[in-house]
Amino acid sequence: MRRSAPILGRFRYGYVAPAALLVAGLLYAPFVWTAYLSLTRYDGLAPPEWAGLANFGKLFDDPALLTSLRNTLLWVVGTMVLPVGLGLLVAVLSHDIKGGAWYRVPFMLPYALSGAGLALVWSPILSHGGIANALLGVDTAFLQDAPVNTLAMLLVWTWQQLGVNTLLFVVGLQSIPKEPIEAARLDGASGWRLFRHITWPLMRPLTAVVVGLALVASLKTFDIVWVMTQGGPGRNSETLAVTMYKETFVASDYGYGSAVAVMLTVVTGLASYLYLKRQVAS
Amino acid sequence: MIRSGMATLGVAALFLAACGGTGGGTPQKKTELTLYNDKGAWTKYFDEMGALSKQKIGLGMKPTGYTDSAQYQAFIKASFRTNVKPDLFTWQTGGMLEEVVKQKQVADTTAIWQEAIKAGDLSQDLAPYYTIDGKQYCVPMNVAYWGMFYNKKLFDQHGLKPPRTWDELVKAAATLKKAGVTPFYHTSVLFSFVWFEQLMAGSDPDLYDRLSTGKAKYTDPGVVQVMEKWKELIDAGYFVNPGDKTDPGDVMKNGKAAMISFGTWFNTSMTQRNMKAGSDYGFFVIPNVNPALPKTSVIFESGPLCSLTKAADPDASTKYLKWWTTAEAQEKWATSRGDVSANPKVEIKDEALGQITKDAGSGKYRLVNRYFEATPPPVLTAALDGFGKFVTEPGTYKDVLATIQKEADEYWSTHQ
Repeated sequence: MRRSAPILGRFRYGYVAPAALLVAGLLYAPFVWTAYLSLTRYDGLAPPEWAGLANFGKLFDDPALLTSLRNTLLWVVGTMVLPVGLGLLVAVLSHDIKGGAWYRVPFMLPYALSGAGLALVWSPILSHGGIANALLGVDTAFLQDAPVNTLAMLLVWTWQQLGVNTLLFVVGLQSIPKEPIEAARLDGASGWRLFRHITWPLMRPLTAVVVGLALVASLKTFDIVWVMTQGGPGRNSETLAVTMYKETFVASDYGYGSAVAVMLTVVTGLASYLYLKRQVAS
Repeated sequence: MIRSGMATLGVAALFLAACGGTGGGTPQKKTELTLYNDKGAWTKYFDEMGALSKQKIGLGMKPTGYTDSAQYQAFIKASFRTNVKPDLFTWQTGGMLEEVVKQKQVADTTAIWQEAIKAGDLSQDLAPYYTIDGKQYCVPMNVAYWGMFYNKKLFDQHGLKPPRTWDELVKAAATLKKAGVTPFYHTSVLFSFVWFEQLMAGSDPDLYDRLSTGKAKYTDPGVVQVMEKWKELIDAGYFVNPGDKTDPGDVMKNGKAAMISFGTWFNTSMTQRNMKAGSDYGFFVIPNVNPALPKTSVIFESGPLCSLTKAADPDASTKYLKWWTTAEAQEKWATSRGDVSANPKVEIKDEALGQITKDAGSGKYRLVNRYFEATPPPVLTAALDGFGKFVTEPGTYKDVLATIQKEADEYWSTHQ
């Protein structure tokens, strides 16, 4: 110990440098650059021109951004209710029964698909004249009218995410101490009362992680929307992340796209901070 | 302390060296060029061209095809600032070409054009699309005339012939609709502009041109009337659902719609599906909405093949572009895809496509630049979204036009 401490001390910056440089170069530098671009007019070719807060002013005057905000909110609420809520339900129903792991397998399989792959598979199913129309005997264009298109994509998202949330909740259920549960049972608690007053509070640390991850993932929803609807038709299914991509790379308005990126970062950061603060406080 | 500082510096130097690449500007001698393009579905045909060029001029070509054009354009723009530069790349004429030329990124091809025009390999009429401030940039990767592809079997079944007037076209649509066949195809993504551009060009091509240059407004009465005409056709039930994701080639093959308006490159989709021109499908020039116009308006597009001023081997890139314009190269490029060619010497095998090329060359039509190239990128993005909204909610046409105009006002306030 006596010998290794000075060696560690001597080279400590060297050990940290590769990781620090990678984080600084690939994370902080692009973030600072994006923040700078949000204050400019830039088409990706000519040098950026200083525009002050004009791009942020435009944010509040853009009806498409309001639609994006509304859809993003729908994704956040929908994610909490569907993949997270149903995940918890499946976990609670299956963790205590014989062969429960086998019941969970079908929910887990879709998690192997990437977001884009998932969207590619479901796109022809949900598009007008697709398999869903034929199976249900309806003429609905699931990916066309708002908010039906966002809800349809949320169902697809649920299909994929349900399994992993279930798995996390099962881990949580298995790791809680048996004694309080048994004591509660002896006191006559069962079913909903047992879950509400004993199981659920004991699972709080894990629930905080699952909800926190789902919150961030839903706020930055991009791939599934981009592949299935490209944010359309007429921008009615755009999320903030899709608006950011579209303004930057499709409309070549890098300045405005960066302003949306900054806004998305602030919204995600603030939502995560407020949520985690509340969890820690309670 | 000094040692630890040295170690940090050493790691930093290695990291920076790894990030920096070679950074050298020394030209290389290349025997195979990379051709980046946003036509991923055409990789097979590009590969065939690579094999032919290797055989004919000793210079091979390997394509890298993208299927998402936004991703592709972002890559090309980024490549201007990095060492990963394409030797050759496809782009768009109009505002997009002007943008990259102004940044001095694209190699001047004036000499290639002069020589090709003299040799009869390129037409002088095509030069304006590639001319910026008196100089030419890039060469035509392809040219295309837009018209209507129709399912020949469905037409025969219902006793229909290619229409020669707008009224005949609408009458044919009514006949098909009555028989339970959906007459037209349209979509809410990317190609949502097709019917707008066609109806505009066939009603008032001058207004269309003024719209492209910011001299007219999307809220002008002439434009509103065009949207109303389009709405009339949608309300009559003449279009497939715009949310249908079926590939247009399959829509044509399985008769989901009887007619699809696209550029002559759509023939490649027919070729890929083993459909035969004349028996399975046909092509006609879409008649003007306004019969009083002196010439039938035909939408025209030409996609450029470019090289960079800072290409790794500028001589090899120039040599390739020069060869690309020759009849030897174009014969293969056009016939393999069943498309038309920018080289007037190339004989077009498809009868209908050969005819439109010949007629367009003789000045029979008023050629109108495709909306995609004619409209500046930010306005185009707003318009594509707007038309996407309109085809799903036709009642919103006035709001849609106002939204596009708002973007156009912003663009033209700094770009006149």
